[in-house]
Amino acid sequence: MSAIDNEGNESPINSSRRRVLKVSALALATAGTYGAAPFFGPWKHNHAWSQAAQKKPLVLGLTMDASGQYAASGMDERLGAMMAIKEINAKGGVLGRPIEAIHMDSETTPATGSRVAERLITRNEAAFLIGALHSGVANAISQVAQKYGCIFLNTNSSSPTEAGKDCHRVKFVWDGNGTNFALAIVKNAMAVNGKNWVLLTNDYVWGHNTSKATRTIVEANGGKIIEELMVPQNTRDFSSYLLKIQQIKPNVVAAAIGGDDIKALRQQVVQVKLNKSPAWINNQQDWPDVYGLGPDAIFGVFGTNWYYRLDLPGVKEFVAAYQTTYPGVQIRVPGNTYYNGYMATRELLRAVERAGTTNNIRVIKELEALKVSARDRMQDFDAYMNPTTHQLQQTIYMATYNDAPAEKDDIFKILSKVPPKDVEDPEAPVACKLESYEATPTYEM
Amino acid sequence: MEFLTNLLPHLVNGISLGLLFALIALGFMLIVGVMETINLAHGSLFALGMYVALFVIAPKLGAFPELAAWYGSLPLGTRYFIALLLAPVFVGIFGMLLELCMRRTYGKDPLYGLLLTFGAALVIEELIRVVWGSNEKQLPLPEAISGAFMLGDLLYARYRLYASGFAIVMIALLWLFLEKTPYGAMIKAGAHDSEMVRALGINLPRLRLFVFALGVGLAAIAGVVMAPIWGIRPQVGVDAVVPAFLIIVLGGVGSLWGAVIAGLMVGMVVGLSGAYASEWSLMSMYLLFIAVVTFRARGLFGRKSVLDA
Repeated sequence: MSAIDNEGNESPINSSRRRVLKVSALALATAGTYGAAPFFGPWKHNHAWSQAAQKKPLVLGLTMDASGQYAASGMDERLGAMMAIKEINAKGGVLGRPIEAIHMDSETTPATGSRVAERLITRNEAAFLIGALHSGVANAISQVAQKYGCIFLNTNSSSPTEAGKDCHRVKFVWDGNGTNFALAIVKNAMAVNGKNWVLLTNDYVWGHNTSKATRTIVEANGGKIIEELMVPQNTRDFSSYLLKIQQIKPNVVAAAIGGDDIKALRQQVVQVKLNKSPAWINNQQDWPDVYGLGPDAIFGVFGTNWYYRLDLPGVKEFVAAYQTTYPGVQIRVPGNTYYNGYMATRELLRAVERAGTTNNIRVIKELEALKVSARDRMQDFDAYMNPTTHQLQQTIYMATYNDAPAEKDDIFKILSKVPPKDVEDPEAPVACKLESYEATPTYEM
Repeated sequence: MEFLTNLLPHLVNGISLGLLFALIALGFMLIVGVMETINLAHGSLFALGMYVALFVIAPKLGAFPELAAWYGSLPLGTRYFIALLLAPVFVGIFGMLLELCMRRTYGKDPLYGLLLTFGAALVIEELIRVVWGSNEKQLPLPEAISGAFMLGDLLYARYRLYASGFAIVMIALLWLFLEKTPYGAMIKAGAHDSEMVRALGINLPRLRLFVFALGVGLAAIAGVVMAPIWGIRPQVGVDAVVPAFLIIVLGGVGSLWGAVIAGLMVGMVVGLSGAYASEWSLMSMYLLFIAVVTFRARGLFGRKSVLDA
């Protein structure tokens, strides 16, 4: 790419290229001064309108983690989103436009999440953003998305704050959150196991708020939190925590640990044979974090919002489609993170189709009015979007290890199913202050 | 008294952790000390050691059913022992290839070496993903070293006792090798004055090749030992390279006992803070590092540089 040849002379080709660049830059600068200002942001209609007029593909920005604590789940939910896109494209796309996806790794890091969101919106012209595991990352992405009015689907991050104090008009939360799971599990666990609890909390926003929800329910029902042990993210050695737990002697350990951390914790609990006593509650167990760990490591009771062997219409076909589309993947059957990635993407694209436009405010209103039948969701109860918190209210399942598996991957035994109204977070509508429609930048791609 | 009784298991755990940290840092220390090269691929080679061990212990030999049946019939303890031997050999050969690539960077800006090993780390991690996939794996353990034992009135993992003992043996063997063999003398001399070593007719490139292979072989052994504790995943190397780097700087670059003592200190602060101020348990090692380096920039046992005079 050097502009100088071996003798040190400037090549005519390169000088003419330079002239073109200079002229282009001048032209752009001039256009920016006179009337074409939107090219330089803020991001507005005109820029995007030209895309729609030419029937260009509708671009979805995928912000799933591909590295860091939640890399495995990020990969899983990305496959789910890609499956939904594939299905919609097979039917001719949305509004007659094919769907394209651009993925950028948010690295389980909030700062990267912000940067990726900014880039996808402003440079790649993503119409919508999809994907989040880590609640800190989800919050960071949603702040950028709100700045541009870009609809963001938080597929799998479960801090109650995501649909509480950190809610946004453009953000929709598709997973059950820490409060939903705590409401489903804690009271029953207190009755069965006892009232002295220890909280084992991943030291970031999801862990804090999930443990806070657990603490509230335990104390409201006459229980006691003897100690809360904070676990920094990326902790790989839990020996001191496990010694401490033995010294405290609680009835129940309620863990709000996620990603690679929970994998390490589960293995180390088994090594010291603490998996039988005390009782273990894991607020939510993501499928990629437990898949392949072996029966001993799947101890305790935990929450999930979907399982591949639910005896419901459509589940078998859904699993078969996964296996046909992704024959080489190591997780042989889909789990909750894949399911959430799929469902969120599908419902977004359906909402665009119903709205008949990509106008963000119209699509937001469609999503706020969303109701999905149990059959369509492959869950036991109908689901609905709470318009004041933007969290999908859905069936919550309690599960434990399946000691009589029908096949190798059948590792969960569903203990109970809880309808959405029984686990709705009462605090969320109070804490959540959505921006008005007027305060949300509008766009149409 | 009750406080002391409660403290004791955490002290024991801290020592155990410290020995494991020291084991992780040994190979890193050797390469930095002798070759003055920061091998950022140390963590990825540590991870590669885990995967090689997994392959040796539980190989997928579907294409050779008779061989698979025979190998599967070997006791797990035997396969584990083979893994402990083969993992460092395989990773050591891999390390030799890396060292051959690094030769062009010697004597130049150290940034080239850093960039090369950083690139190698990324390549090795992706290679692992391609060959073994991204999912978590578990290393099967022989019955004799799995399970728990009573530490006072508390349960403690038997494997940690084994891993700590193994770390002590490795540290002792490395010390004996460096201090009591002519090869060790050459390595130390090479670290101290490579020009003089070359003048004495010792083949310096071959010495460097050997040291690099030994260093990454030690990383592989640490990987095999840590696999049942940390789990096996492609990105696990990051969890190893950061504390290893911190420990060798804390202990003093090139000092074996510096690395061991720094490892023990790090293990102790991580273990104790995990029990009594859990939110600080990861941060504590960095605070210790800042505290030591603030007052002693060359680390605990680092050689005095001309700039210190």
